[in-house]
Amino acid sequence: MGSPCHFALFDLKPSFRLDLEQLAVRYRELARNVHPDRFADASDREQRLALEHSASLNEAYSTLKSAPKRARYLLALSGPELPLEVTVQDPDFLLQQMHWREELEDLQDSADLPGVATFKRRLKIAQDELNERFAVCWDDAQRRAEAERLMRRMQFLDKLSHEVRQLEERLDD
Amino acid sequence: MALLQIAEPGQSPQPHQRRLAVGIDLGTTNSLVAAVRSGLSEPIADAAGQVILPSAVRYHADRVEVGEAARLAASADPLNTVLSVKRLMGRGLADVKQLGEQLPYRFVEGESHMPFIDTVQGPKSPVEVSAEILKVLRQRAEAALGGELVGAVITVPAYFDDSQRQATKDAARLAGLNVLRLLNEPTAAAVAYGLDQHAEGVVAIYDLGGGTFDISILRLTGGVFEVLATGGDSALGGDDFDHAIAGWMVEQAGLSADLDPGEQRSLLQAACVAKEALTTCAAAQLRHGAWQGQLSREQFEALIEPMLARSLKACRRAVRDAGIELEEVEAVVMVGGSTRVPRVRQAVAEMFAREPLTDIDPDQVVAIGAAIQADALAGNQRGDGEELLLLDVIPLSLGLETMGGLMEKVIPRNTTIPVARAQDFTTYKDGQTAMMIHVLQGERELISDCRSLARFELRGIPPMVAGAAKIRVTFQVDADGLLSVAARELASGVEASIQVKPSYGLTDGEIARMLQDSFQNASDDKVARVLREQQVDAQRLLEAVEAALLADGERLLDVDERLAIDAQVQQLRELMAGNDGLAIEQQTKRLTRVTDAFAARRLDATVKAALAGRSLNEIEE
Repeated sequence: MGSPCHFALFDLKPSFRLDLEQLAVRYRELARNVHPDRFADASDREQRLALEHSASLNEAYSTLKSAPKRARYLLALSGPELPLEVTVQDPDFLLQQMHWREELEDLQDSADLPGVATFKRRLKIAQDELNERFAVCWDDAQRRAEAERLMRRMQFLDKLSHEVRQLEERLDD
Repeated sequence: MALLQIAEPGQSPQPHQRRLAVGIDLGTTNSLVAAVRSGLSEPIADAAGQVILPSAVRYHADRVEVGEAARLAASADPLNTVLSVKRLMGRGLADVKQLGEQLPYRFVEGESHMPFIDTVQGPKSPVEVSAEILKVLRQRAEAALGGELVGAVITVPAYFDDSQRQATKDAARLAGLNVLRLLNEPTAAAVAYGLDQHAEGVVAIYDLGGGTFDISILRLTGGVFEVLATGGDSALGGDDFDHAIAGWMVEQAGLSADLDPGEQRSLLQAACVAKEALTTCAAAQLRHGAWQGQLSREQFEALIEPMLARSLKACRRAVRDAGIELEEVEAVVMVGGSTRVPRVRQAVAEMFAREPLTDIDPDQVVAIGAAIQADALAGNQRGDGEELLLLDVIPLSLGLETMGGLMEKVIPRNTTIPVARAQDFTTYKDGQTAMMIHVLQGERELISDCRSLARFELRGIPPMVAGAAKIRVTFQVDADGLLSVAARELASGVEASIQVKPSYGLTDGEIARMLQDSFQNASDDKVARVLREQQVDAQRLLEAVEAALLADGERLLDVDERLAIDAQVQQLRELMAGNDGLAIEQQTKRLTRVTDAFAARRLDATVKAALAGRSLNEIEE
């Protein structure tokens, strides 16, 4: 839609490895300059522009700070548009997914809070591992298919961690 | 009418001319107004020295009474005295019936679906009732500060949905206040504390007011207040403690639950007195009619335990939403009168494993913080480096109804605002030419469990086979947390958009009538008022343009552009001296148009400047 690339907004080159602390620092700096509060007594036009700028800055920041979103965005930048939902040809991973889910259901049935904590730690390790693998292959055109597969795995684990949060909420009742 | 100050052509407006702005805490039980004076944010007292204005409005046949006197009349005149009106803001008749038994009013349905309260002065909407409270605070502030207000920051519970926010803004408009920003109450409290104590790190704000509960988790970094997550319950507060005690009294005294409005009120008042007494005493004496009894603190704590548990659960959820662990919260701030209840403080301290901060009066802290932001927004805090910046979030997910009565989220809760996000949808029938856009807010999957915000139709879609059309729906939430929605069919370019007028808001017709009523009641007539608004708008623009020219005129404009702007500025100045409102309005628009490109260039330059001097790979590994 003609908006500048998320990385360019932060004056960065497209890359998967990011220092999130520094990204946050730069985000706050930029937000300070474009937030509508800075333009409370400016003309309507300037207020509207500030609103648009702030909204795209926030969008860029929320994309870049999340590993699965950043991965997806990088692949979209360097290749054809990626459909949101596809049938994944990834049998190994499908099997693993089923195990994860069964485990989560058991945890729910037994209302096992320490078990949930352990599950979260393992999930985190799996996510870090995927991030590492993605980081080394995403910009290699030869390994595009592998990068896409990893990205979908990242998305799945992200969804799973949301489900863990919902489970925690249910167990909190 | 205050005379506007006009500088000589070419001369810059005085940089340190103070612009009067206030922060208003429009509370369920109590309201107050604060302002920054001599560098200090303080509440403003009325002529009698009172800072707190009870949020009570009593309608007499010929006048309106607001505050303590109205509150005291609540039992004697329950139908014409409105208390806790905030609980009705942005609500529909059905919602209100849920609060039902507790409310003694006679409700009538208005042109919109908003419940109107039938009073001796006719039906009054919650928005009008709130406006009465705001008017009193505005007059108080103008008398104390000695001039007209540039605007106000009005606080709302972070958990307020779009309808409730819109209703609050409408109330301010009716009261003749220019809303600089709607600010979330916990964020306001964080500002008051954070700036006071130069705090850094993660803080939790636990805000239990008269009728609403909010929890916010914020990260404070060098003047930037970043809300990480917020949560709460817009129908949980100290009022519920009173109701619990009143219910207990009804049970103990063997009364029928079917009480008349006056009796209900006196029960609630007795309950409230007992609650307050229990803050310092181990037991409170209660009397109702012939019945007498004693309520111990332990009994009271047992009565409120379920509500307390609800609030703590919301806290845990907010912490999870923030993506942090409980131990990372470095300070907990208590806000709202209900946090005076010892059991509340104790429970919060236990959960966060640290003593909560209560240094600033919990009834005043929100207004104090709001005044600090109002002062900054009015332009009184420029150029001291670490300026205040508040990055807030939306409290509830926003989405659309899809096939099967399901809600599709477009913007999830706790997304930083302002935000704009688009989602594509398609048609489900061959040849479908129209699409109903139903905007919803909430966390549940079924639309019947979410709040309906608005419905509108996109018409004129060219007939295609099912699934071929691509309809892009864009949601935009501004810095006040208010939503607008636009829909566009991508192939044909057919468009429809609305500023979301909440399903339970006032209709434009109702607002127009109320504004007219308030003009008629005001001492100055409508024409003078409109002219003054046009002059204020023009003056605001002139100041903005002049400041911009001074800062960047040479750098960003060529000679012709500069001359064109100067000419329009000059003309607007000349018109301002006269009283032709229409001409002023038109010239204001002309000046806006001619400075459009300049405004865009300035903003781009600001962003570039913020990025300047950094190497490209600095934050890559």
